[in-house]
Amino acid sequence: MLNDLDSIKSLAGEEIEKADSLKAVQDLKVRYLGKKGIITGKIKSLAAIAKEDRREYGKSLNDVKIYIEELLGVREKACKAVELNKTLQIQRIDVTIPGYRIPAGHLHPTTQVLGEIIGIFTSLGFHVEEGPEVELDFYNFEALNMPKEHPARDMQDTFYISDDVVLRTHTSPVQVRVMQNNTPPLRVIAPGKVYRCDADVTHIPMFHQLEGFMVDKHITMSHLKGVLEVFIQRVFGADTKLRFRPSFFPFTEPSAEIDISCVICRGAGCNVCKNTGWLEILGAGMINPRVFEMAGYDPAQYTGFAFGMGIERVAMLKYGIDDIRLFYENDKRFLDQF
Amino acid sequence: MKASYNWLKEFVDFSLPPLEIAHALTMAGLEVEGVVEADGDTVFDINVTPNRPDCLSIIGIAREISAILKVPFRSGPAGALEQKGRGPEVTVRDTRLCRRYASRTITGVKPAPSPDWLVRRLESHGIRTSINVVDITNYVLLETGQPLHAFDLDKLAGTKIEVRTAGPSEKFRTLDNEDRILNPDMLMICDAERPVALAGIIGGMNSEVSLSTMNVLLESANFFPSSVRRTAKALGVSTESSYRFERGVDINNVTVALDRAASMIAEIAGGCVSGLTDVYPSPFTAGDIRISFNQINSLIGIEIPGPLAERILTDLGFGVKREGEGLVVNPPSFRQDIQAEVDIIEEIARLYGYGNIPASLPSIQLQPTCNEPGIIEAIRKSLVRSGFTEVINYSFFYPDSLDRLNIALNDRRRDMILISNPLRKEESAMRTTLIPALLSNVCLNFNRGEKNVRFFEISRVFLPSSEKLPEEVVQVAAVYNKGETASLWETTHDGFYDVKGALENLFIDLKIKDHSIEQSPEFTEPYLHPGKSCTVRISDEKIASLGAVHPSVLESFDIRGNVIILEIPDVAKLKKYISAKTSFSPLPKFPRVERDIALVVSKGVTIERVRRAILSVDSNIIESVVPFDIYIGKSIPDDKKSIAFSILFRSADRTLTDQEVDALQAVIIEKLKKELDAELRG
Repeated sequence: MLNDLDSIKSLAGEEIEKADSLKAVQDLKVRYLGKKGIITGKIKSLAAIAKEDRREYGKSLNDVKIYIEELLGVREKACKAVELNKTLQIQRIDVTIPGYRIPAGHLHPTTQVLGEIIGIFTSLGFHVEEGPEVELDFYNFEALNMPKEHPARDMQDTFYISDDVVLRTHTSPVQVRVMQNNTPPLRVIAPGKVYRCDADVTHIPMFHQLEGFMVDKHITMSHLKGVLEVFIQRVFGADTKLRFRPSFFPFTEPSAEIDISCVICRGAGCNVCKNTGWLEILGAGMINPRVFEMAGYDPAQYTGFAFGMGIERVAMLKYGIDDIRLFYENDKRFLDQF
Repeated sequence: MKASYNWLKEFVDFSLPPLEIAHALTMAGLEVEGVVEADGDTVFDINVTPNRPDCLSIIGIAREISAILKVPFRSGPAGALEQKGRGPEVTVRDTRLCRRYASRTITGVKPAPSPDWLVRRLESHGIRTSINVVDITNYVLLETGQPLHAFDLDKLAGTKIEVRTAGPSEKFRTLDNEDRILNPDMLMICDAERPVALAGIIGGMNSEVSLSTMNVLLESANFFPSSVRRTAKALGVSTESSYRFERGVDINNVTVALDRAASMIAEIAGGCVSGLTDVYPSPFTAGDIRISFNQINSLIGIEIPGPLAERILTDLGFGVKREGEGLVVNPPSFRQDIQAEVDIIEEIARLYGYGNIPASLPSIQLQPTCNEPGIIEAIRKSLVRSGFTEVINYSFFYPDSLDRLNIALNDRRRDMILISNPLRKEESAMRTTLIPALLSNVCLNFNRGEKNVRFFEISRVFLPSSEKLPEEVVQVAAVYNKGETASLWETTHDGFYDVKGALENLFIDLKIKDHSIEQSPEFTEPYLHPGKSCTVRISDEKIASLGAVHPSVLESFDIRGNVIILEIPDVAKLKKYISAKTSFSPLPKFPRVERDIALVVSKGVTIERVRRAILSVDSNIIESVVPFDIYIGKSIPDDKKSIAFSILFRSADRTLTDQEVDALQAVIIEKLKKELDAELRG
């Protein structure tokens, strides 16, 4: 009888070993352990065995049952793994097909550069103000120490709407408007469109400027240098050098023109910097006491600095754009690059 | 201003090579924009700022070099003049406009071409040469900055010169052979009978010096800057002379320059120089400017030693006296730009060297700023996410573009702000709508072979107002061309629903809760297709227009393809509908039941009507009604369409039974039959 169990055990072992699919394993499970299976049958017939043999035989029978269960379990796992692998092979896709993109648009490069610059100044505690683009001659010129007939008006070719209304030629009028309505301390930037009545290869009739100014007690030229250094090095890199040159703007004194070391050739000399190693990037200075007077501030009490820059100029240097006219032609192939 | 290296050396001792001189000048505020070598000399092209008319001369630049390099300045050769007789009597009628008038006559001159050295020097400085007498006046102008004028003495009527303003509509032919009509605030130089020169600007044909001239009247004067500027602008003339007078010329240099020119004429063209006539009623006096060292240091932000400040000013030719902890400064007559303390500070900072001022950051008082990301940023972000690329167009446009948009003559957009001096007629008015430029952008890109052109712009338009300045309104407009998409996504519509989806996304991004869509011809923009456009309202206020561009507009903009437009004509209006608060509603506790129904209705029945009819059956239980299929074609009558909806039922306080939902669905179908003549599709 025990021999009988041995032969069941070895036959089951062989058969399970040969089972090469989940189905075959399943069938064997039924054949041995199912309701009408071989082992189940033996268990049912235990009662018919002599009492003295029953115990030993029962134990052996149970051992064989566990043995078969374990073998089936191992085999089932192995077959599952093989079949899953097969399925995974079938599900293989072509990963070289281009990705499906939700076609997002692009912000205009001017907007992007403006956003970056505004971000830098707001991190320094400046806040954003705006002014009208169609501006009174008073704010655009007179309040900035450029009375009618002042030769400095020649520096900015102006579009006129009427004798006393112009398209603003710079964002500086916002200075006076803000000062008239606020008391110091002031830390303000004013971005926006400005207009000049000239158009050739290097000029366009509308462009963007960002004006910044700070007014408080004890603001010095040294502070102007410090703030602009932070700004320039954030935009163009920490190794960018700045050069302050005396210049003239009617609304600042002392006035300065700020050059940065050429971001294209790093000072070695190239077309962009005309081999000087320097690029003009900003105009700045200490706010002229006459501007304070026009705005109703006491120049004996307050000092301040102001600066202004052309955004397209910054964008051209940042991105290496060589023709300013590309900005507002709005060719998709240009816009899609930013 | 051009200035030659060798010429400068005649007035100041320096040994630095040209490029180093150029650098030194640039770093002191006289920006050298070009350096040209020729004929063993180097000519600098210097950008002289409007505040420094003194540097519109060789001598002025030489003085700067002297101060920058701290090397001595030599004044020019003083002409020792043999003087015989007197020139014409001079009467100045308006001593405000003409502050000084000096003259000499030179008799017996021999006009001829100038010697080579003189010709070379003028030409290298960009001055056209003529005959010696005229060339010498130009030479002295360049050297000293004082404009001079030579008249043919024999062509002058009488023996008197009168400086007066012009008579009404007086006519005058200037040296450039143009007839000018004068107005009464223009200052003229006149002989006994008529004008002979436009003061400080240009001479007259009637007294021109020529090869046959024998006697010359040489004028050296000082005219009021803004008067010269006004006249020059009004007549559209700009000369070397007017350019300098507009900016201000050294009044004390009038006779120095006159004598220099007279002696050069006598030497080169021969002739005999007369005595000096000089009308100078109120001579220049240097005003005192008091400034404390503290003032200087607290503006620059660094201690500049008193003696150094004093030295800088002295080097620049200023009179300087120490007074306590400060200075009393007398600017020289050639520095009329120096009028206040801050002008002195700039001079000190400039020569101290901006590069020597250290950079530092100010300590500031904290101020809460209101840099909240604005609605404009939010709109940009949302539209970019929906696939639109931002463009920026010029703020001007061609008024005729409104015709191309079919805009009615009485439309507010016809009321435009016009530019009085436009560059081109295409840019002669401030735009009142963003649409024409966007359509032109589409056209340009189509012509360059681009597809799927999807642009938006967010910019101001300009509308006349009752104030002095126009109203500047921020608008948003977008153009959308469907172009080609992958086959999976291909649908039959021309992009209208893509743009509508973008608008719906925009409302979600802006947290704007409700809006309604209305299709009524009376509110449709004239440039939109009447059948494929709508008006978008929030709380009954018109907020946006959306639709396909009218075929006639496409044609007039030369666009071959479909374009959908979204326009929000006033962004400020959107602002008030943004819900500031986001509030949470609890998640539902009970499960939902989903049922799909397919209906056949007349083609004219809108989805929204059906949806509302279904919802109205029991808005407590019917959670949502979403259309998912529209079918027109086989098995559906020609005037009908089939629409399928997915309806969600849910109760807030119990689990719905199938029987309940069946009953509700029956009510819905009954209602749709009755109200919309709908039939259930089998």
